Amino acid sequence: MTTATLPAATKSSRPVRWTFPKAASAVGAVILAVVWLVPLLWALDTSLKPEPETTRAPITWLPEAPTADAYRSVIDQGDLIRWFFNSTIVSVLVTTLTLVVSVLAAYGFSRTKFPGRKVLFGLIIAGILVPPQVLIVPLFQEMTGLGLVDTYWGMVLPQVVAPVMVFVLKKFFDGISRDYEDAARVDGASRRRIVWSVMVPMSRPILVAVSIFTFIGAWNNFLWPFIVTTDPSMMTIPVGLANVQGSYGLRYAQIMASAVLGGLPLLIVYALFQRHVVRGVGDAGIKG
Amino acid sequence: MPPDPALFRPGRRAVLGGLLGALALTGCGTLGSKPKVREWNLFGGGDGARLLQIHQQYVAEHPDVAFEAHTLAWGPPFYTKLAMSAAGGRAPEVATLHLSRLKGFSPTTMLDPIPVDLLADAGVTESDFLPTSWNRAIVDGKLYAVPLDTHPFVLYYNTEICKKAGLLGADGKIKTVKGVDAFFDMLKAVKDVTGKFGASVETTNPWRLWWTLYGQLEGKFFDETGTRLILDDAKALEALSLMAKLAADGLTPRSSNYSALVAQFSNGEAGLSFNGEWEVTTYQTAKMPFSMAPFPVVYDVPKYAGDAHTFVLPHQSNRNKDDTKATVEYIAWMLKHSAEWAAGGHVPAYQPVAKSQEYLNLKPQAEYRSVAPDVLFDPDAWFSGSGAQLQNEAAAAFSGVFSGQATPKAALAQFKAATQKLLDTPSPV
Amino acid sequence: MAVETPSRVTPGTSPTAAKAGTGQPWKERWGGLFFVAPFLLLFVLFMLWPIVSGLWNSFFNTSLAGVKQEFLGLQNWQDLFGDPAVWSSLKNTLVFTAMSTPPLVIIALIMALLANRKGLLGWLLRFSYFAPFVLPATVVTLIWVWIYQPGFGLVNGLLTAGGFAEIDWLNTENRAMLAVVITTVWWTVGFNFLLYLAALQGIPAQVYEAAQIDGANGRQQLFRITLPLLSRTTGLIVVLQLVASLKIFDQIYLMTNGGPNYATRPIIQYIYESGFTSYRIGYASAISYLFFAIIVIVAVAQFKLFSGRGEAE
Repeated sequence: MTTATLPAATKSSRPVRWTFPKAASAVGAVILAVVWLVPLLWALDTSLKPEPETTRAPITWLPEAPTADAYRSVIDQGDLIRWFFNSTIVSVLVTTLTLVVSVLAAYGFSRTKFPGRKVLFGLIIAGILVPPQVLIVPLFQEMTGLGLVDTYWGMVLPQVVAPVMVFVLKKFFDGISRDYEDAARVDGASRRRIVWSVMVPMSRPILVAVSIFTFIGAWNNFLWPFIVTTDPSMMTIPVGLANVQGSYGLRYAQIMASAVLGGLPLLIVYALFQRHVVRGVGDAGIKG
Repeated sequence: MPPDPALFRPGRRAVLGGLLGALALTGCGTLGSKPKVREWNLFGGGDGARLLQIHQQYVAEHPDVAFEAHTLAWGPPFYTKLAMSAAGGRAPEVATLHLSRLKGFSPTTMLDPIPVDLLADAGVTESDFLPTSWNRAIVDGKLYAVPLDTHPFVLYYNTEICKKAGLLGADGKIKTVKGVDAFFDMLKAVKDVTGKFGASVETTNPWRLWWTLYGQLEGKFFDETGTRLILDDAKALEALSLMAKLAADGLTPRSSNYSALVAQFSNGEAGLSFNGEWEVTTYQTAKMPFSMAPFPVVYDVPKYAGDAHTFVLPHQSNRNKDDTKATVEYIAWMLKHSAEWAAGGHVPAYQPVAKSQEYLNLKPQAEYRSVAPDVLFDPDAWFSGSGAQLQNEAAAAFSGVFSGQATPKAALAQFKAATQKLLDTPSPV
Repeated sequence: MAVETPSRVTPGTSPTAAKAGTGQPWKERWGGLFFVAPFLLLFVLFMLWPIVSGLWNSFFNTSLAGVKQEFLGLQNWQDLFGDPAVWSSLKNTLVFTAMSTPPLVIIALIMALLANRKGLLGWLLRFSYFAPFVLPATVVTLIWVWIYQPGFGLVNGLLTAGGFAEIDWLNTENRAMLAVVITTVWWTVGFNFLLYLAALQGIPAQVYEAAQIDGANGRQQLFRITLPLLSRTTGLIVVLQLVASLKIFDQIYLMTNGGPNYATRPIIQYIYESGFTSYRIGYASAISYLFFAIIVIVAVAQFKLFSGRGEAE
């Protein structure tokens, strides 16, 4: 780090001097970051090798003759595109529906009164304790009965039930002053309008944050889509990559190419929205 | 049947409406009026690559059929998915199934019977098969599977390495070895040439090797009723000890999964490979010098672990007539073209092909097909068969024998206990 | 399944009527329920119903193959307590939790302390530490199985290059779980890191300025100010992490399939195998309930511990 040796000018109000501990922590941070990136780089590296080079011992660091063959064959097999499409549909649906039903429910619990409200809220909060994993067996039975195995709805609907979301949003709504609502009511707005034109705009940051997390969670969810899809053409990316074999013989480069392609979309989303993600964890995680 | 979209009316937004529209288009998309045939298989090895080529030909010849094939991960993942799809009601039109798994798959509820009349219309009848394979496909008087092939456990050898090791005869074929000592001598000779291993084996799933060796010792598994374990401890231990010695002497890897088995044989770390005959295409594609032979008779009698692939119709809640007809015709087409399938290693079950000159001329297939009658199927039980629980228990217990983490005695005790537990479990089918 | 939406029930209730409560008392009293109704319906269908039907199934020998449905009474529950596979897989789950939680908390804290800086370096650090978290389990495990591969994998390549013997990580009984833990830490530590980072950024700068005026050095600031102020966050992270680790399935199923010799098979995989691979839906339901009970006990115990301490502060 060359910057470490220079007397760095700093924007911070505290004067920062590059002392040894500070430089050491910067170097340590960078080393740790490199260690964390190596597996990703190694996957990328392997995916660019011709197949025979992947199993050579001792290992080669960089491909001797980089090739995109592995990517070409993975994409030609076709399934990956289909899974990408399925993942997009499922994740968008899960995110949208989760948001809509949770916002409505959170508003209902935060602002309206009806008999049994406390009991119902308590029941839903207790739902936070239920790990989805324990429901896979009866839920699959239920989906069989409803004819929803191998359908988008079969994948989506159970994921929409997110009690923790209702809890977090209700707490957030509780903190919004009622003055805004009352003003809107005087103007003749219905309660439904109030939800969408008062509460939602006022909670935009937290909604953006939970949307991103819901989207990532839905995109990456493995267990439930794995249980409820059996037809390879209905699978999402994580499930398809794990279950369907598209190539034969020596295929390490191809496997890594599909891993890179499978991981890329969310890495890009994350790189673009990092600020929201970081702040969202703070909002939802710490305060929630 | 998708739930009423009105359920989500609160989102009166155009976005959602558009999405639902898109879903209606894609989710319940029909493939026009063409009959559809979706095929699932578990061919993850060289045979999968071969199947892909055959399917390309099938598709080219059948533009009137909407055909789709998928290879799922071999073993429990495939069979679990297939069972769940049959339970879920939207199973594929046709799937491959090991003959050894047929009874344990609950054919009467999870499979639909093969319409024998349609099959005959497509030109395939009982007389085209050996009675033994046809009869195994019948449950409660109905045909539930159409046999495609038989696949014995064999010996692959790298001809260059084995030549250097002095194992080839004047005809260029590997000399037949018999007995434990000769078997070890062969492996040692190969190891001296490769400098690494004699043979590559799948230590993480050594059932086939053990079942071959135990079978060659004429060991029995269940009694006639199929309810009592009558494993011969001395013979079982003999086979396990031999496996332990192979690894301990460095003649085989101590730990190697299936893809490593293939890699080690193709990169020359091992000059021999003990495996099913389905990797022919892989090694041919790699353009390596290799041939095949029956697995050596290490003990008393020629027996070779193996199984047979069949086509089945997984249960569908709404079976479409046209699809079924096209599916049966697909099966018949595959049988008639099974010479190409056989080129990938498997021994065809369809006798007109098995007796054809085209098949008889195939090399190296000609070197081992004679062992087909000596193929030893897995024990008969609902938890047994290729990729089934019994093989998993054997894999769990016996892989430690190779790695050195378990003695043959401990491994056998574990395997017997696990088998007994399976026997004590009430059958779910 | 048509459901009344709030729009139909509360069509622009006029504020005066609502306040007076005279015009439409029924709507005023029950109207709020309709905001809750969509969520409630899904909650009942896809959470309550499976909970109840799972319990019901656990008293039957229900089979996936659809051939059997006979009442067994408590037979499944008796079998479960006598089934060594239940206990060994439960033990694996607990071992994984015990092995993975400490590094997932400690490394996250270290990362947060290191990456709490502005500018490009801060952005890059945050990106690197959290990036693996956004990958699907399958991608993570494909990469790591390849890294652990004997013969030509990265880890063993480094070991042999350094003159060490290679280790067959995923096929060695006492190494496989460690390998899975390492992968898990790499994959999921980023989330805890962000929680810590948010907490760190929530500490007012004046606290440190005051400490500096008092002459506290960096080490003193860390141990006297930063860490104590993070204790509530640590409590939260430990709670979340314990429950998350207990639910382990994806990585293990995908990396070792529970092997070698079942040494890594977690309880959820045993539920999956019993129910779907062996068709024993009834039995699998019973095991699910055992696991459910454990999760609830852990969560409630932690909640008590946590909220109790919160009040004391």
